[in-house]
Amino acid sequence: MVELDHSFSTGKPTDYNWEAILDLDRVIPCVEGGSVVERTSPESATAEILVKMGAMSMNFRGTVEVAERDDDAHRAVLRVKSKDLGGQGYANADVVFSVADGGGTIHTAARISGKAASMGEGIVQNVLDALITDFTQKLATI
Amino acid sequence: MLGPACGTLTVRTGKAGAASKAGHNLRMEVTDWHATLDLGDQPTLAVSVDPHSLRVIEGTGGVMPLGDEEKDAIVKTIDDDVLKGRAIEFNSSRVDVDASGHLVNVEGELQLFDRRRPVAFALTLDDDGHVEGTAKLKHSDFGVKPFSALFGTLKVADDVEVAVDATTRSQDDG
Repeated sequence: MVELDHSFSTGKPTDYNWEAILDLDRVIPCVEGGSVVERTSPESATAEILVKMGAMSMNFRGTVEVAERDDDAHRAVLRVKSKDLGGQGYANADVVFSVADGGGTIHTAARISGKAASMGEGIVQNVLDALITDFTQKLATI
Repeated sequence: MLGPACGTLTVRTGKAGAASKAGHNLRMEVTDWHATLDLGDQPTLAVSVDPHSLRVIEGTGGVMPLGDEEKDAIVKTIDDDVLKGRAIEFNSSRVDVDASGHLVNVEGELQLFDRRRPVAFALTLDDDGHVEGTAKLKHSDFGVKPFSALFGTLKVADDVEVAVDATTRSQDDG
C-alpha cells in the first residue's frame, strides 16, 4: 500500500470545485494518459490509463466510481479498480478529495501489483507522487 | 574512408531519475555514417551521421526485457522527439598524430541538436588501419535536457558515449 497526500489550487469557489471533482468526464482526463471509455452511471465510469515508461507502456483498464460522498463536508472518495491489459497486474486506489474555497486536498491510498510493482515500492511511490502532482496541476485549470 | 561497411559507430546511453530501475542502458548502432580520416601533412577528420539511422542493438539493466517492439519504439522516439532529423556532423580543427603514428588526438566541433560545441577525443590506429576511439558527450553541453518519461522520474543520463571501431580503407577501395 502506497499512501500519498497532495493539495491543489483552482482559485475557484467551493461549489465549483465540488462539482468538478465529482464530474468523472472532467476529472479522469486530468490524469496523464487517462480517458473515459464509457459512463456506466452518473457516478461511475469505465476508464483507461496509458502509462508510458519511455519505450514501454502499460495500459490499465477498469472502473472509477464515486464510492463515498459527503456533500456537507465536501469530501468524496473516488475508488479506482483496474487491471493491466498486458499482464497479470492491477492498480487499485482510493482517492479522497476534500475541497474548499480555492482548491482542496487529495489523499491517495494505492495498491499496485504486477510489472509496475516489480520496480519496487519506493519507485512506485516516486512515480505515483509525480503522476498525482501532474494531476493537481491539471486540476488547477479544470 | 570509414563507414558502416568497414566498422561500427556505437552510441551508448545510460539512465537516471528516481524510476531509473524501470529503464534500460542502451547500446545503439549508427547504420548510415561516413568519416574521412586524412593523416597527411595537415591531418583532418570529418564525420557525417544520418540522424535517422540509429538502431537499438541491446537494452540492459531494466526490470523488463527490451523486445523488438520496444526497440523500434525507442528509434521512433529518437527520430520524433530527440534528434528530429537534425544534422550531425563533426569537423576537426586540430589532429595530432604521435611519433609512433598509433595515437591520434582529435579536437573539433560537433554539430548536434542544431548547435555546435567543441569535442575532443583520442583514436588509436594500428598498422593494419584498424581505428578505435571513444568520445564522451553530455546533453547539457549542448543545452539539451535528456529525454524523460514517467513525469521526469525516468530519464536518459546526461552522459552519452560514442565509440568507433573500424578499419580504414583508402578512397580507391570504394
